[in-house]
Formats: sequence, structure tokens, C-alpha cells
Amino acid sequence: MRAPIGLRISTRRKALSVSQAALARAVGVSPSYLNLIEANKRQVGGALLQRIAAELGIELDELTGETEHRLMHELVEAFADPALAGSGLRPDKARHLVATSPDVAAAIARLYRAYTAAMTSSDAYADRLRADPLLSQLLHQVLSGITAIRSSAEILDTVPDLGPEDQARFLGSINRETRSLTAVARNLIGQFDQTSSSGSFASARREVDDMIFAVQNHFPDLEEAAAAERTRIEAEGPFGEATMSELLARDHSVTVQRSAEPRGGKAFGYDAATRTLWFRNTVPQSTRQFQMARLIAELHCRAVLDDAPDMRQLVSPLARRGARRYLATYIAGAILFPYERFAADARTLRYDVDALAERYNASFEQISHRLVTLRRPGAAGVPFGFLRADPAGRLSKHFPLPGLLLPSSGHACPLWAIYSAFRTPGEIVRQVAGFPDGSRFLFVAKAVSRRSAGFADHTPPHSVLLIANILHADDTVYGDGLNLSDSRFDVPVGPTCRLCTRTDCASRQEEPWSPGGEDAPATLVEV
Amino acid sequence: MTTDILIAEDEPSILEALSFVLQRAGWTVQSVTDGEAVMNAVRRARPRVLVLDVMMPKCSGFEVLKQIRADAAMRDLLVLVLTAKGQQQDRRVAEELGADRFVTKPYSNVEVIETVRELLESRAAVSGP
Repeated sequence: MRAPIGLRISTRRKALSVSQAALARAVGVSPSYLNLIEANKRQVGGALLQRIAAELGIELDELTGETEHRLMHELVEAFADPALAGSGLRPDKARHLVATSPDVAAAIARLYRAYTAAMTSSDAYADRLRADPLLSQLLHQVLSGITAIRSSAEILDTVPDLGPEDQARFLGSINRETRSLTAVARNLIGQFDQTSSSGSFASARREVDDMIFAVQNHFPDLEEAAAAERTRIEAEGPFGEATMSELLARDHSVTVQRSAEPRGGKAFGYDAATRTLWFRNTVPQSTRQFQMARLIAELHCRAVLDDAPDMRQLVSPLARRGARRYLATYIAGAILFPYERFAADARTLRYDVDALAERYNASFEQISHRLVTLRRPGAAGVPFGFLRADPAGRLSKHFPLPGLLLPSSGHACPLWAIYSAFRTPGEIVRQVAGFPDGSRFLFVAKAVSRRSAGFADHTPPHSVLLIANILHADDTVYGDGLNLSDSRFDVPVGPTCRLCTRTDCASRQEEPWSPGGEDAPATLVEV
Repeated sequence: MTTDILIAEDEPSILEALSFVLQRAGWTVQSVTDGEAVMNAVRRARPRVLVLDVMMPKCSGFEVLKQIRADAAMRDLLVLVLTAKGQQQDRRVAEELGADRFVTKPYSNVEVIETVRELLESRAAVSGP
């Protein structure tokens, strides 16, 4: 969990050409002690770390590193939760705690995660009990069964002159209904089991997130495996759908079905029993290609997926499954968009997502996703953050940027371009977003729909957001024509209402969290 | 031969028991098992009471009730609605749509017989001999 602070201290010190002895003297410790710190054999925090940071002329955050940074954000989110309202814990307290007692901070963060997971699961239970159509249907079956049994039993019990035929009829009825009630009861129990596993989904997702953040969303092993797969495919023929389809058939006995009937509301899927990868007719080529590459990764890169170093740290089976899916998707992205070539093209095209999508015959989301993973040390591209939202505003698939707090679940600020993009589906929406703390980011969003298969086919769009620090905006095509150094026309946004300090915002839905202040009402919206 | 009671209920076991006890109580009974069939059966058989389950396939009991109350020829039909325990909302909707009486599942056979009897007696008292 602990990032190598010592390494960062020594790297920075050497960069400044300061000797170990000189730095030790300046911060008031013995050279041997500093040596232990730099070797990560002694923990460093609190005032000493602050002195070292000051002496090396860098921010404490930079020195403590991203893991700590993320931990800090998590604590701030926890402190802002209404459950802790009025406790007077301020963001600087979070910073202090992470710097001085990282283990305590980590414990609080873990506790907060467990708490939010518990809340999510209790919400899921409540929803299910209140409104779940399946549950009410099962309840209806229970009541019908009992009604029939009771009514028939009463007849058998109270009608003295019941003929043998009628007797057999009502006994049969009771028998039949009892059997069907047994099945309903089993189904009902199954429902509750399912609910409990869906409740842990939130925490499993965060486990996977952690794994991804820990490596900055760049997996050298997977890149290597993907490069090997790409070579294997290209040995068969020109890279593309046809060749991958042939490879799947020959080496993996998988049939690709191009115009399948929809199953379970899905547009494509893999049926392991019949070894069939099927697509509806509406599925575009970019998706077909991607899914073929993903299946190749899943079938042929098993060892890499199983041995992914961080996979073994995942606690829950749900998280491991999620991580596996994520990593297979990662390999697919890396097969379709080979690192060096894609990174070079991205630089040349100045990260124009649509232009890259055209060049690689890919979707906006696939390209955006790949851009986020261009983090190879020494050959990294512009750092991007990534976020996806559905039309109800719910966020999924997020990857944050240093210094930008992305809500880990629920909703973001309603003013973010990710939401305004829904008003003009298919068009790029860009926005220079100014945060209350003065940080500025370039937001580039696009709402995309899948292809409709008919009037009755609902294809709500989802919105994809790419985020770049304003300092990198001029490296991208999306910074063109904007006066990036002038912050007067920034769209004043916040992280989420709760964590936003703006008092003059007409879009506010929730009271800001005021550390030490009086308890605020949960909502400002007047009914 | 006239029909006293038309039962609209889709669960065969419930229907079987219900027809049996109502017939045994001395009434003539007919039955249908889906919402669409109810209107035709009412027009054809002209029953005195309709025992109507609200949860039926094709066309729900609520829709049937609404159509009956909107039809000049059927408006005065006595309707006993079978609702499920705990479904207060169902009961409110049925009331608004003009149900005469309710029996809640799971019921005792006696409850249904008594309620039908009360309904028929109330109609007899109003219209007079």
C-alpha cells in the first residue's frame, strides 16, 4: 500500500545535485537516518516530511505520491459524508492524517468503503422489497397457491357428502399447488442470495479500481501479450475482422455468427457451451472487431490474465472476475491499437479521438479508453482521465487524473460536459472547467448511441468524457482556438455538490459540506 | 337457464374450488380465465354478480371493471373484486373504478359466499319485489 517515498526523496535530491549529508543537515537528521529513509527502511511523515519537501522545493503531495493522494481524496469524500456531518474534520486534517498516520488513514478509508458498500446493499434490499417486480410476482404466486390450498382444504374438511371424484380432484389440487409453492419458495430464496451478491458489487468495483490505479492503468505484461497476439493474427492475414474470425475458428473452434437473434436484451455475447461468438446485425464493425480481440485474449492469454501480479491481491471472487474482464478488455485494446504506432498516431493527430477512430476503424469510447493507458514510462502520451455516464447521470468506468477528484459512484457536478453532451448526441462538446480550488481541466465529451434495430428498440445514449489537465490542453486538438491561459471564461464547476464550495451556483442540489459548521439539511431542493 | 355468478379467475385450482363452493351454496356459476373473455361472457350470460380477480392475463381486472362501468348496458352489474393481501393500492384503484365489494386472498370460502349473498340481498332490497 505504501508508495516508495524514500525513492522519490532520493530521486529528487539527486536531480537537484544535493548530497545526502547536506540534505540530512538541512532537515536536522543524521545522514545514516536519511539513508534509511531513502531506502524505505524507515517511515517518514509529519513535520520531518514537510521539512524535506520544503528543502527539496516540492509539494508534499508530490512527495507522498499518488497512492497517498488518492487515499487523501477518499478521506475527504468520507469526511464530507452526511454521516460525519458536524464532526469538524477538514480537508487539511485528511492531508495531515495521510502524511502522519497513513495506516490509520487507510483504515478509515477501508471502513468508509465498507460503510458505503453496506449502504448500497441495504438500498438494494429496500428497493427489492419495495418495488421489485419479480418479488411482487413471486408474492402473487405465493398468495394464489395459499388461496387455492386453503379453499380446497376447507371443502375437504367441511363438506361431509363429498363424492370420491370431487375428493380426488381437490386433493390433487392441493398436491399440485404445494409443489408449485415449493418451487416459488426456492426461487424466492434464490432472489435474496442474488441480492446479497449484487450488494457487494460496489466494493468489488473499487477493489478493481485500486488495482488499476496502483499501476497507473498501464500493464507492461498485457502490452507484451497483446503484441504477441497481434503478430499471431497478422501471420494469418491482413489484420481485421476476417482474419480474426478465421483464427478463432481454426485455433479455438469458435464460430462467429454475424446476424444472430438478440438474446436477453443483449446485442452480442459469447456462448461458451456452443463456442459461438454472436452479434446482432446492428452491431458495428468496430464492436465486432473489439469483441473478437477480447475473446482471443480470454482464450489464448489465460496465463497472463491469471498471473497478473495484482490479481492475486483481490479479495472477492466478484472483484477477480471483474478484474479479469477488465484485463481482457485491456489486451483487446492493445491488440487493436498497438502501443508505439497508436501513441505516435495520437501525437501526430494531436489526440483527435474521432480522427483516430477513423484511422483505426474504432469507436470513440475504444479510442478514449486506449488513450488513458498510454502511460509507458519514457513513452507516455498526454495523461487523460476518463469517465462514462448513462442518461440518468450515473457514473461508470472512471479513471481519475492527479489533482482531480472523480466521484467514485453516483453523480458528478451537473455542469460537467459529460452531461451537456447528452443534448447534442454524436457531437463533441468541449469545456474548460474551472474548479473552486483554482485547478482547471479541459473536458471533452461525446454522447453516443448504439444502432437501433427498430422502432421498439430503445437505444439510450451514454456519454464518454476525456479529461486533460489544462497544462496539456495545447497538445491536443481540443485546445485549438481556446485562450487557455485566460480563466475568465472557464465554466465554474465543482466536483460534486457536497464537495463544492461555490455559494453562487444555481445548479446546486445539495448543501455544501461545511466542516465544523452546523448540520446542513440533506437537500436544498424545494418541493 | 340464467347465470347467477360469473367468475373471472386465471388460477385453475382457485377457480375449481370457488365454482364448487358457490354452486354448492345454490347458485348457477360460469367462469372465464382471462380478461378479454370477461366482457363477452357478461354480455352473453348476463350474470347477477361478477367475481373478478384483478391479476389476470391479457387484460387486467381493472381494465375489465373500467369497461363495465363505462358501458350503459353493464354499468349496474354487481362486482366483487378479489385482491391480494397487502396490495392496498390495488384495492384503492378498484374502489375508484367502482367495485362493489372486496374479498382478500387468501380467503375462507365462507367469506366469499357471505359476501356474494350480501351483495345479492342488497340489490334485492333496493329494487324491491
